[in-house]
Parts: sequence; C-alpha cells; structure tokens
Amino acid sequence: MNSVTALKRGIGAELYKFRRTFILWFLVLAPAFVPFINLMIFVKKGHELVGPDDNPWERLVQMSIDPGNFLFTFFVMIVALFVSSIEQNSNTWKLIYTQPLSRLVVYTSKVLVFMLMLLFSLLLFSVFTILVGLSLKVMVPDLGFDQAFGMGLFFQLAIKIFLATLGYASLQFWMSQRWKNLLLPLGIGIGGWISFLILSQGWKYVEYHPYGFPMLGLGNYQDPAYEWLSELKFVYRSVGLAAVVFVLAGLDMVRKRVV
Amino acid sequence: MSEPIIQTQGLDFYFKDFKALDQVSLNVPRGSIYGFLGPNGAGKTTTIRVLLDLFHPQRGQVSIFGKELLDHREEILGKIGALIENPSIYKHLSGRQNLEVVRKMVGGKKERVEEVLKIVRLVDNADKKAKNYSLGMCQRLGLAAALLTDPELLILDEPTNGLDPSGIIEMRELILRLNKDHGKTIFLSSHILSEIEKLATDVAIIDQGKILYEGKLDGLKNEGSSLQLTIELDHVDTATKVLQKQGFAITETYHNGLLLTIKSKQEIAEINQLLVASGVQVYQLSSSQENLEAVFLNLTKKLDQ
Repeated sequence: MNSVTALKRGIGAELYKFRRTFILWFLVLAPAFVPFINLMIFVKKGHELVGPDDNPWERLVQMSIDPGNFLFTFFVMIVALFVSSIEQNSNTWKLIYTQPLSRLVVYTSKVLVFMLMLLFSLLLFSVFTILVGLSLKVMVPDLGFDQAFGMGLFFQLAIKIFLATLGYASLQFWMSQRWKNLLLPLGIGIGGWISFLILSQGWKYVEYHPYGFPMLGLGNYQDPAYEWLSELKFVYRSVGLAAVVFVLAGLDMVRKRVV
Repeated sequence: MSEPIIQTQGLDFYFKDFKALDQVSLNVPRGSIYGFLGPNGAGKTTTIRVLLDLFHPQRGQVSIFGKELLDHREEILGKIGALIENPSIYKHLSGRQNLEVVRKMVGGKKERVEEVLKIVRLVDNADKKAKNYSLGMCQRLGLAAALLTDPELLILDEPTNGLDPSGIIEMRELILRLNKDHGKTIFLSSHILSEIEKLATDVAIIDQGKILYEGKLDGLKNEGSSLQLTIELDHVDTATKVLQKQGFAITETYHNGLLLTIKSKQEIAEINQLLVASGVQVYQLSSSQENLEAVFLNLTKKLDQ
C-alpha cells in the first residue's frame, strides 16, 4: 500500500468519526456567530455606523475581522481539544494505533483534518460575512451595500489568518494530543493569548509571540491600498513554527507509549 | 512442529524503574488457543501491548508470522485482530458506524461489516448508539472490529472481564468457534484460571513480569503432579516460620492450619518432624493431588516468599 492510499484511509476514517458530534455543528455555527451579530447591529443601527460617503462594506469588514480574529484563538483551542478528545474519551488511541497503518499516517491524518477544520471554518466565516452584506443590500437598501467592493478581500484575509494561526495552532494541537487533561492545553492557550495582549503594549520581542502572529500579520486591511501579500514575516514565522512543532509532535506520537 | 505464530525473545520492559517484563519469551503455536495466565498486574497487558507495538520494549525481540514486528509492522498488524482491556468504542456512533471507522482504516469491502456483525451476533443492535450498549455488547463489538480484516491471529486481553455469566459463556463459545470453524489462532489473556482451563490448548503463566511456565495445558497438570498437604495445628505463625526456613512453599494459611505443596510423601514425615521438634501441636495431616488452581497459585506465590 502506498502512502497516498494509506493517508486517504486515515483521513477517511478521521472524518467519518466526527459524524453526529457537536464539533461538526461547532465548525458551522461558530463562524456564523460574528456575522449574525453584525447583521443585527446593521439592521438596528446601520445608519449610525455608516456615514453618507462611506462604503458600508469597509465598515462590515472591520466589524467582522477584528472580533473574528479575537475569538478565533479560542476556536482554535477548542477544535484542537475536540480532535484529540474524541480518542481520549472513547479509549480509542489503542484502537487506531493497532490498525495496519503506520503511526505516522494516523498522526498526519489527524493533523490534516485539524488544519482542514480551521480553514473550512475561516472560509465559512468569509462566506457568512459576505452573505450578511448581501442580505443588508436587500433588507436595508439605503445603507449602500450595493456599492462595489472586492469580495476577494474576505477570502484573502481568511487565508492569511489561517496561515498566521498555524504556529500556535500546532502548539495547541500537540498539547491536546499529549495530555488527557483538557484544562491544561486550554489554560496554557488562554495564558498565551492574554500574555500576547498584555505584551503587545510595548514589549520589544512581541513580534515573536506565536499567539500574536495573526493579529500582527494582518496589517492595515482598511487601507484602500492594502496588499494582502505584504507583511508576510508573521506568516513565515507561523508556518515555520508549525512545521517544527508538527514534526516534533509527530516524533513524539511515533515513539509514544499508547495506553 | 511448524514455526510458532508469535515468538518473543527476552523481552524486558520498564515503567521508569519498575521492571514490568523480565525476560519474557513466548512461543505461541499456530492454530492454538493460547491462554496467557497471571494475576492482576503480572504483566499480561504490558506483554500484549508490546506484541501490538503499542509499547516498545527496552530489550528483546518480537516476531509474528515469522517476521520481525518492527520491520514489518503494518503487514503484521493487518493480519492481527486485537481487543485490549476496556473496549475502544466511539460512544456517539452506532455499532455499525464504529465498524465503518475501522473499515475505512483497514480497507476491505462494505459487506465485511455485515459478516462480522453476524459472527458476533450483533446484527439486531447494530444501529443503536454504542453508548447504550451493555458491556457484553461492547466486547462483542470490539471483537467484531478485530475480525474486520479476517485476521489469522486474534489477541484478546481479558475478553470476559466484567461480563455476566451468560456473557462469559457466549464469549467462550465465540472464541471456540473462531478457533475451530474459522481456523484462527487465539492468544487469550486472563486472570481467571477456570476460563483458560475451559478454552486453552496451550498456556503460559506470568507473574511479576516473569514467565513461570509455558507449554501444553496437560503438561501443566502433569507438572502439578505434586501433592497438596493440609496441616491442622495450633501455632500457625511458628509453623509458617519453621517451614519457610526449610524452603517449603506455603500456599495458604488459615487460623488453625496451613496449606502447602510438596513433591513427595517423604516430605510429609519431614514436615511433621520439623513441626513437632519446634513445639507445634499437629492435629491432622492430609494430602491430596494438586488441581490446576493449586498449581497456578503455587507457581505464582512461590515468588512472593
């Protein structure tokens, strides 16, 4: 069996086992949260938010991306926990590690499914946000949502956030795989995130704080001349860190005693 | 004799400083039901985890189907079905969906899921969520998952643990059927002697990480052709000390007597003399042929003394 077939099997099984779980709903509903609130706000108070000469899409982008980016950190922690706790809770590590797939394949399948879930939800977030704008065009026509706007920005930002997230996501993933205790990775994750928020007030090396890469790397997306492929150093750092951590975690899993 | 289906040589395994396996060497004959017997904490599950590459031994070798486990891991695991300790089941999925998860990992046809459900007699409950399963059903589902690849070898760790009497009988019949009708070699661990006695053709006894006996079940009975001696006396403590000093293995002590294993009738006289000489009043000495349970207790208790 070649490794592509093996990986297909691993991923197939991995995706199948999330049937009827809360996490599937979570992956869909969590990205709807901020867009839904924004829809409410724009319907109720849209006229106060959008000036006569403004493009309301710009306002919507801002009101979506900032809170979305903030909440996404928690989302990542929770998804990382779900992906491992499905095995921890069912005592199934020993089941999946005694199947005729190499440990590396089983591990890689999990990593890929985890990343896929994050990317899926981020893209869904973009879709929902665009839908909010399009709905407002119909529901409150005088807000001006019929103005031209490059919708591609939503997906560009989603992809950039995804890449800049991988760094700390890999840490969350490793911790969740390693420890049976769910609170430990969650506590460390929240600690990491809050420490970034505090240190961003003026610490010299905050640029290297993995939990801050998505926020720092985003750049000034409200600038009309915004170029999404700028300020890539945070993306590089994040992807670099993820590569190192996923490899280390993989070595850890391959050597681990499976109880 | 054909080559053993499982062969281990000198397995040592440590949990930090604790030596869980000490030079474990096993030879499991093809086609056998191999009973792996030992008290709780003797190293049975650890051995099984080593056989399945879940634990990596510090020393020693495992070869299965005549091949090194580490070099041919996936190939070997593809021909083994395993059920280890408490069931590994996704509780939010139905029985059939649980099997589907495993089938996706191992490949194979969809129909195989129905076949194994039939073998373990779980067809009627296959669509119930596994969280509503009884322990017996969980065990059978685990076994069904182990059978998906139609493996040559089944490794079952305490498969009757926690089952009620009818569940135990059902599991036993299933194991016999898999061995006789489907020709599978079965490696079966248990701490319940009667369980092994009813099923196994071959046995190994492990205690404190050491293999104390390996061979035919009948051989174990013959090895136990020693005698059991029950002594009724007044000072149990004194008697225990005196006899242990002389190297006798005491199996059990009661408030008014002792049970010990001896090799010959001559030893009865010797024991009597020893006891009398140390001032113990002996009221009765009775000997009987040792049963398998006594052999087991005797083998595993010798180490404690």
